[in-house]
Amino acid sequence: MTTGIWPWIAAALTLAIYSFLYKDNPFYKVAEYIFVGLSAGYWASYMWWNYAKPNLFNPLFWPEAGASPNYWNIIPLFLGVLMFTQLFRQTSWMVRFPLTFVLGVALGLQIIAAIEGDIIPQLGGTFAPFLKSNFVALSVWEAIGSIVILAGVITSLTYFYFSFEHRGAFGTSAKIGVYFLMISFGASFGYTVMARISLLIGRLHFLLADWLHVIK
Amino acid sequence: MSVLTKISNLDRRIIFLAVALAVTIPLLLPIGFPVDMSEPVQKVYDLIETLQPGSVVLMSIDYDPSGAPELYPATLSVMRQCFARNLRVFVIGMWATGVPLGQRALNTVAVDEYHKEYGKDFVNFGFRPGGAVMLVNLGRNIYDVCRQDVYGTPVEDLPMMKDVRSSKDIAFAITFSMGDPGSDQWIWYYHARYRGNLATAQTAIGAPKYYQYLQTGQLVGLIGGMKGAAEYERLVNVPGLATVGMDSQSIAHMLIIGFIVLGNLLYWREKRNK
Repeated sequence: MTTGIWPWIAAALTLAIYSFLYKDNPFYKVAEYIFVGLSAGYWASYMWWNYAKPNLFNPLFWPEAGASPNYWNIIPLFLGVLMFTQLFRQTSWMVRFPLTFVLGVALGLQIIAAIEGDIIPQLGGTFAPFLKSNFVALSVWEAIGSIVILAGVITSLTYFYFSFEHRGAFGTSAKIGVYFLMISFGASFGYTVMARISLLIGRLHFLLADWLHVIK
Repeated sequence: MSVLTKISNLDRRIIFLAVALAVTIPLLLPIGFPVDMSEPVQKVYDLIETLQPGSVVLMSIDYDPSGAPELYPATLSVMRQCFARNLRVFVIGMWATGVPLGQRALNTVAVDEYHKEYGKDFVNFGFRPGGAVMLVNLGRNIYDVCRQDVYGTPVEDLPMMKDVRSSKDIAFAITFSMGDPGSDQWIWYYHARYRGNLATAQTAIGAPKYYQYLQTGQLVGLIGGMKGAAEYERLVNVPGLATVGMDSQSIAHMLIIGFIVLGNLLYWREKRNK
């Protein structure tokens, strides 16, 4: 068994959290409150030291030796202060200004990401194998795979197209699309189980190896 | 009360206990189930094998301790391959809580196992905030984003960084990612602009999403979850937590499949009786 204090604290907190599986109890509550308190403190510190201080306050109030204050930073500081106006009913409308700015920037970034990173490459990846020069170079299994992907994309899209009634050939396509979606959800569920079991393995390995030293 | 009725009213704590035993017993008494190789993992390995000695590999530690059981073994294995091939490793991280994990991996592999020299063979710039914006700047000018390493050494004073200025100088980048910011940002903002060889090691819960990027060539490979990490441990021939954990994974999965089948059979039976 380990002699250091930290593995004992980590082991005690791990067991306290897992004790909830039996039933709610004071040990679990203590571990939960410690986690919530530590997380809040950690993220407050994280935001201050990594974002607010180096990017906003240092250039404005404590510039490097020889540099002049960056007065442009008054604008984000002002917008940041406006974020807190939502705490008071009379001033809460002012929060719309910084939120508008945040939404605009996020939208700009996301549109580029979606078009450059997803829509164009994914469309290309779906249809490129069917160009004559590409298709003849594919193996049988690659060709079948490409056909299945194309069928999956088209039928799944028809399921989410609601301007036509899902009847006849269109309805059949939508129904096939549902099967593709279900297979996709099943694969995701399988991976999710693996992820959750991995977390349990990680904790049990810590208890057995690092704390109790019964395995290497 | 029949046995089937008793099973359908089973206290869920029995199921928790069964899963705990299914995971614990193989950890104590390893079975050694074979680990089959998958193409996306093999491709990551093969690509690194093609790199010339001295090439720069960028490793982004984009996870925290909760992702460590799946991603830390993958981090160690990829580092082992890189240092065995005398590649230079450049570490950053988009998660502040990943910095100690990256440092620990470097200490284990670069320092203890391969006796590499800091600043010449590998560097660690630690946490780089900013997510997407940071990656866009990183690809354009690394010196803008990485002014000091984790020890406070200016980038200009690190010999390895003399010829590493932008994405053009990075032969291969891999993100060990468990969420946002992570693989999405690397694909959408870094690869979309600067191209190059990019791969991801992803926690299992997010892995299915990234298969689509393999077909398009946006990712050269994918190390998915603990299974992917176990495959990589096999490729570098250094078994670790992922290999050990796969026995537990297999038994727990069989148990859960059994519970799912049983639950559905009981559900159909109850439905028929009504």
